[in-house]
Amino acid sequence: MNIFVQGIGAVTPLGPTRLETWAAIGRGERAPRKLFSNEIAGRKYFSCPVPGDFVSDAARQPRLRRSGTISLLGAAAGFDALTDAGLKPDSKSDNRLAVVFAICSGGIKYTRRFYHEIVAQGANSASPLLFPETVYNAPASHLAALLGIDGQSYTLVGDSSVSLSAIHFGVELLTMHHELDRCLVVGTEEADWLLADAFASWRMATNQNRFEVYGRASGTIFGEGAAAVLLGRTGTLAVSYSSPGLPFWSFRKCAIAARELVGRSNSERAPDLIVGSANSTFVDEVECTVFSDAYPTVPVYAPKPAIGEALGASGLLQVAFAGLALRYQELPGTLDAGAKLSSINRQTRSFKGSEALVTCVGFNHQVNALKLRAL
Amino acid sequence: MYKMEAVQRSRRVLVSGIGVVSPLGSNTEENLRALIDGRDCVTPVERFDVSKTRCKTAGQVPDGWLERAFAPGRESRRLHRGARMAAVALREACESAQGAVPELSVVSTTCGGMSYGEFYYKRLLSSASRRNFARLVGNYTPQKPIQDALEANRLSIPTKIIANACSSGSDAIGHAFELVRHGLHECVICGGYEPLSELVFVGFDSLQAATFEKIRPFDKSRSGLVLGEGAAFLILESEQCAAKRHAVALGEMIGYGVSTDTYHLTQPHPSGIGPKLSMKRALESAGLEAAAIDYVNAHGTATIYNDATEGAAISEVCDGVPVSSTKSMMGHALGAAGAIEAAFSVLALREQFIPPNINFSEPEPVWKFEVVGNYSRSARLKYLLSNSIGFGGTNATLVLMRI
Repeated sequence: MNIFVQGIGAVTPLGPTRLETWAAIGRGERAPRKLFSNEIAGRKYFSCPVPGDFVSDAARQPRLRRSGTISLLGAAAGFDALTDAGLKPDSKSDNRLAVVFAICSGGIKYTRRFYHEIVAQGANSASPLLFPETVYNAPASHLAALLGIDGQSYTLVGDSSVSLSAIHFGVELLTMHHELDRCLVVGTEEADWLLADAFASWRMATNQNRFEVYGRASGTIFGEGAAAVLLGRTGTLAVSYSSPGLPFWSFRKCAIAARELVGRSNSERAPDLIVGSANSTFVDEVECTVFSDAYPTVPVYAPKPAIGEALGASGLLQVAFAGLALRYQELPGTLDAGAKLSSINRQTRSFKGSEALVTCVGFNHQVNALKLRAL
Repeated sequence: MYKMEAVQRSRRVLVSGIGVVSPLGSNTEENLRALIDGRDCVTPVERFDVSKTRCKTAGQVPDGWLERAFAPGRESRRLHRGARMAAVALREACESAQGAVPELSVVSTTCGGMSYGEFYYKRLLSSASRRNFARLVGNYTPQKPIQDALEANRLSIPTKIIANACSSGSDAIGHAFELVRHGLHECVICGGYEPLSELVFVGFDSLQAATFEKIRPFDKSRSGLVLGEGAAFLILESEQCAAKRHAVALGEMIGYGVSTDTYHLTQPHPSGIGPKLSMKRALESAGLEAAAIDYVNAHGTATIYNDATEGAAISEVCDGVPVSSTKSMMGHALGAAGAIEAAFSVLALREQFIPPNINFSEPEPVWKFEVVGNYSRSARLKYLLSNSIGFGGTNATLVLMRI
């Protein structure tokens, strides 16, 4: 069964919708970096936050009045994907529309605030308003409520490869459940100092305001954002390969898993474009090895130097950019590209192509790949 | 990608393996004995400070039961106890399935290794030293404990982790069921794990959903839930796959229904529309009339709102059916609850008994079902439902059948 991407949505530090984001990326813009304002122990990190006014429409929904950034971002991206598909978001979707969310850290800002209240003031002082928004499926629940979904609503958690697993999950739902017309897959993530400091303990976050990809691995900068794809049974942009991913139990075996997955996604010919997940960590070396071996001449775009590492949302953002590249036949230039991957695309340019490969190498032992084909 | 020709609708899905570790016992047989005895396994919390919470008890898995999860050594000491729980239950499930080869794992949790995140944050506030930070950070994410448990059992397979709050466990098993039923996979290991976490414990306390008394599901004077923990896994496989190994099935899964109740993030719609829809959809999926159901293993958290909602739904859908909540014996294991209760349901079908709803004295007069109070009893069970209801309005119902 062919499953198609009928709509693409995004909200990123570069723009409130897919259109503004894509235009900014085409111009080679870099999301503004801001120092986290809530650091502990004097350790400072930069982030790429989404400006509050980018999600102001979502924030006006009564249901989202008390919700965290992650839910606002998810709702904004979801609505953008529905709009892109020419659908008016309504509140009567019943069980004809499913939502699948992909999340890594979840509502980390409220989680940190809630736990800080426990530690600093005692358990009896912890706010009951915060706790419900710390639950992983709060963003999915809010969007399901806004769209009037009474059927399938799932939240998948995982590392930065979880987005591609979520799309695969959506493909499975549409394959198995004929009462479903569409499935809205959303990846969303918010950033907090705690996240950056945690990754720094693994030397995977930098305290600089830039990072190089496919070059010197200095650690990443965290970004916020969300992306969504509306899947359906008709369309012109097919999901030609998706997978639940593959595990790897050591960093040494990561490249083997990634190579196997890329091999499985192989069709008769090489893709015309690769959107990689490089973030200035071990991921870069894995992708360099795999891309150089499998597709040495296919141009590679890596979006994270522009918008930051948005973990659970990052894979869906990559898929959104791959879809937009095929739609507009425009290949963005990778910012801060290092010298280790000769096929990296450094300047925005037009191209002719119909198939894009998206790869995600997760930090917690999963890799995944997905292919889109424009018909 | 899936070929439509390969997608079938009505393959039989057999349960060929079960593994459970819960406050009731360290393996399936110990859990079965505790269920039959109606043992109260809720104990005072000692893992973290509960001096400022109303609730001071939980169903807890003793650490001693988890020691055999990994070979002793420096590496294993780093691992989260959630990984140990999952590893113990996974191992038992694989052993009981007599050589099954799962292609995929579908797993549920709500907290993962959250307690390591808590240690990390406390240490961050109290000390400049970053000693052990990498260990704590590396093992707190929800996916890491399950990856460790799979590795300990030499299962190098893809994993999907569903975090649909308290219906996660049933959703994981239900999704795995659909994958096998429709021919997308032959054999899937599915279930959930949930270790107790201070943040979540205080969270339920702050919502005044937790009680300082005994947990009394479906009792007229119920006052709230207590939390629990544990892990359970089921191996689901197609009839053809099981037949190739001459595997003995423990039960059959025949239906799965879900619904989303968009009323409120933490409160279900009082009409019971959420669980009502999931139960009806599960029955439709199984091709059964409600009258065929012999027992409902209820979500039954003992909160005022949950039991009122679920009670209304069961009354309408399955009028007169015997009902019990096994959470009365071990507390609410959140993301693992649906998986543990699915395993208990298979045991009930296999051993032909209904587990008791302990601490029960008086039913709500408006409910039209029988609460199986305080003592287990023998029963002829052919079909049963297992309900799960979660924050965010997620509802899931599984239908199981005796082989």
